[in-house]
Amino acid sequence: MNWFKLLFTRRRLYNDLSAEIQAHLDEKIEELVAAGMPRKEATAAAHREFGNMTLVENNSREVWRWPRVENMIEDIRYGLRVLRKSPGFTAVAVLTLALGIGANTAIFSVVNAVLFQPLPFRDPGRLMVVWHTPPQKSFPGVTKFVVSPANYLDWRDQNHVFEQMSALGFRKFNLTGMGQPESVEGRAVSAEFFSVLGVQPVLGRGFLEEEDQPGPGNAVVMSYDFWQTHFGSSKDVLGRQIKLDDKSYEVVGVAPAKFDFPFQAKLWVPLAWTEKQRAVRGNHGYIVIARLKPEIDMKKAQSEMETISARLAQQYPADDAGWGAAVLHLNQQMFQQVGPALLVLFGAVGFVLLIACTNVANLTLAKALGRRKEIAVRTALGASRGRILSLVLTETVLISVVGGALALLLAHFVIEAIANFIGPQLPLAVQIGLDGWVLGFTLAISILTGLIAGLAPSWHLTRTNLNESLKQGLGKTDADSSGGRARSVFVAAEVAVSLVLLIGAGLMIRTLYLLRNASSGMDARNVLTVTLGISSEKYAAVAQQNGFFNQVLEQVRALPAVEFASAVDSLPLQGGSIQPVAVEGQPVVPMADQPEVPVRLISPGYLRVMRIPLKQGRDITEADNAKTRPVILVSESFARRFWPNDNPIGKHVKLTFLPGEASEVVGVVGDVRLNGLSVTEPVQSVYHVMAQNPQTTFMRLAVRTGVPPASLISAVTEAIHRVDADEPVVGVQTMEAVVDESIAQNRLNMILLSAFAGLALLLASIGIYGVQAYAVRQRTREVGIRVAMGAQPAEVFRLIIGQGLRLATTGIVIGLAASFGLTRLMASQLYGLSATDPWTFIGVSIVLLTVALAACFIPARRATRIDPVVALRYE
Amino acid sequence: MKKAQPQQRDLFPGALEMMILRTLKRQPLHGYALVQHIKRTSNDLLQIEEGSLYPALQRLLKEDLVKAEWAVSSTNRRVRIYTLTPVGAKHLQREVSRFETMLEGITRVLARGES
Repeated sequence: MNWFKLLFTRRRLYNDLSAEIQAHLDEKIEELVAAGMPRKEATAAAHREFGNMTLVENNSREVWRWPRVENMIEDIRYGLRVLRKSPGFTAVAVLTLALGIGANTAIFSVVNAVLFQPLPFRDPGRLMVVWHTPPQKSFPGVTKFVVSPANYLDWRDQNHVFEQMSALGFRKFNLTGMGQPESVEGRAVSAEFFSVLGVQPVLGRGFLEEEDQPGPGNAVVMSYDFWQTHFGSSKDVLGRQIKLDDKSYEVVGVAPAKFDFPFQAKLWVPLAWTEKQRAVRGNHGYIVIARLKPEIDMKKAQSEMETISARLAQQYPADDAGWGAAVLHLNQQMFQQVGPALLVLFGAVGFVLLIACTNVANLTLAKALGRRKEIAVRTALGASRGRILSLVLTETVLISVVGGALALLLAHFVIEAIANFIGPQLPLAVQIGLDGWVLGFTLAISILTGLIAGLAPSWHLTRTNLNESLKQGLGKTDADSSGGRARSVFVAAEVAVSLVLLIGAGLMIRTLYLLRNASSGMDARNVLTVTLGISSEKYAAVAQQNGFFNQVLEQVRALPAVEFASAVDSLPLQGGSIQPVAVEGQPVVPMADQPEVPVRLISPGYLRVMRIPLKQGRDITEADNAKTRPVILVSESFARRFWPNDNPIGKHVKLTFLPGEASEVVGVVGDVRLNGLSVTEPVQSVYHVMAQNPQTTFMRLAVRTGVPPASLISAVTEAIHRVDADEPVVGVQTMEAVVDESIAQNRLNMILLSAFAGLALLLASIGIYGVQAYAVRQRTREVGIRVAMGAQPAEVFRLIIGQGLRLATTGIVIGLAASFGLTRLMASQLYGLSATDPWTFIGVSIVLLTVALAACFIPARRATRIDPVVALRYE
Repeated sequence: MKKAQPQQRDLFPGALEMMILRTLKRQPLHGYALVQHIKRTSNDLLQIEEGSLYPALQRLLKEDLVKAEWAVSSTNRRVRIYTLTPVGAKHLQREVSRFETMLEGITRVLARGES
């Protein structure tokens, strides 16, 4: 009989079977009656000998089925029916799991996109980043450093381990001649760039060797995005000219969609180093990527690069002594900034799901105990333990799968927000969204969650004593105690897990608070900043360049509500140039051994704008210019380091990269956190004067205002355009926004972790409430007796609250122990406090205890109102 | 999701089926008569829970080893008569010879064990 026919004939088969079995019994009974047995006895005897009729019929039917599948379908039908019948329970359970699974889906979609997906390059496993390792004497603690042109060229030409090597540098271009002047993120790359990555432009080509030469022939490759917005995706863009920094570039290619490597690049141009630039060995500024030859492994590449570096150090001791090389996987380098934070968040949402799971297990258990009679009847009728297990598991899996579907909806909105936030911090555009992997993950954890949530209740049910259960309702309480115990364990576990999460969130909140209020050494309030970049084509002479900046400063200073304006090459907190210096009183050493310190270029009034205190000596003034002797300001920690016992004023420092004589220290200023708020080490820095710099094409305008700085944006823009109408006005930011930006990552982590911890707290308090409410219902009789015996409401209240308190305390103790172990994992993301910060631990425990007590309050109050007369009649 | 295990009423898996087929080879019978016959011929040595017959019959039906037809019995009741099919006859032959081989093996081992 084939299965297809079976599908249609099965009903008849079943009917035949039933009729046949009935006929069998009838015949048997008739025979026994005929033999002289009373009919009633005969019927009983026939049934006894026949065995379990329902089971026999069911087993016989099963022969015709695919029992696994069909049992499951039957269970699902039954489960749906049960869930429909208790909409309240279903809604709470589904929503609980939707929140838990949704949080996991959202974070997983980011983890998946950032950490699990291969880079969109050809054979990305063979792509390496080759860094310099700087001499530890000059750069204590720094393990990776960008590369100088001459060293890159020697590496490229001398190695036998890489197929190709490419250098790239960051550029910002002023795009003119296409409507509003505009500043565009560009990258200067060597000709091999696109072929090293294995990225094929969708239109045109990458760079040719001859284009990577100095000269008039400039080529540019644009991003897909730029092509769409600036050329309307026109196919005849190839060969067109665009004007960048007043130079003409011919469009030779359009990169594939989504390719913006590295860090949201819009345009790529050849490096086109001049002979002079190619010879620079001591000034580092380029990232080097390379593709391993097929037969070479990383270790071999590393040792070869070390050999080459050692040779170069010998050949050029002045520049290269102490400079090594480090070969690292590109894909590991890509996301190492966001990786650890993501994993912490991933762990956090895992905990949230665990709590959600526990809540549902709890609910199901409570409900299951009410169903013991039904289960007992089923068992009596021959249902095996496996069938009962599958019945309960099907129900919880149904809940979690529905919850999972709802979770996708929730995650959809959250993901978008996270993606917008995290995008700019990634070196490469990644597709964060609900792709196949994420859907699969969600389905998998939904099913797993359902199984886990159903495990305890179903295990409990299958162990139920048949006789006791059938008598349910005839007065009991003993049989319940084990279920009660399981629920108590759940609650304690929930409290423990939420405590871990809350402490994690608490630490992040404290970190952010400390960071936000950390003394950065300057005053960010009421300062507006604007980026000013000019092309060295248009402003060739240094006098013209300084003229431009000074005119802008003059115009801006004349604006009403502007207290003062100044300029600096890199704003505080954002890093910037680090240069070797020769300090008076220190032994004379080659450049490679010289100390390296942040050097900032400033115009007069910078201290006033940023409110950086002058500790000693004088500030620089307009009188310090190209014709007078060069002067500098140094930071306190700089002075302390080099002249601990001498007066720093009048001492000399030679900025090695600056031609001419050594600069004289005229003032000592406060330390400023130049490299970010979380970098607490005092920054030993030097400020030198823009008017005494040989070339200046890029400055950040800093304006101190008497009114909210954002209100001056248009006035400042107009002032700049009065000096040069082609100057793009970009990087308009308040200094406070700069501060916020520097802690954006911490903030995002804090927000997400707090949200998840809040979710955990909510779920846990629902769990505690549920268990306490159930317990009160269970103990109605007991409480009734107590009241009847003269117990006061206060005593009853204490009884119930005490029980909740015990559970919460147990959970908190376990949670504290777990936190001690787990928060260490996030130590790298904390600032200014230890991972076991006692205040956070204590404070969060108190909060949690309070919430737990609040959750017990309503059930406890209800218990005090139990009327003994009603309670004793209960059931 | 597992089927309920048949309890300890078969001698070995397939024994009941073999006895059914052997009985039906002699003459077509309905379920109740089958049980009676097996009990009788085994001199009540084999106590079959009557119900266990039906899953076995369904299996045989599904494999086309027997066929069933509603008919009226000699005692004038509506019964379902099972008949051995040619396929069933062949199957029985194979099973019996396999059983005999097995039995011989067991007998030998048991005999050796005693001496």
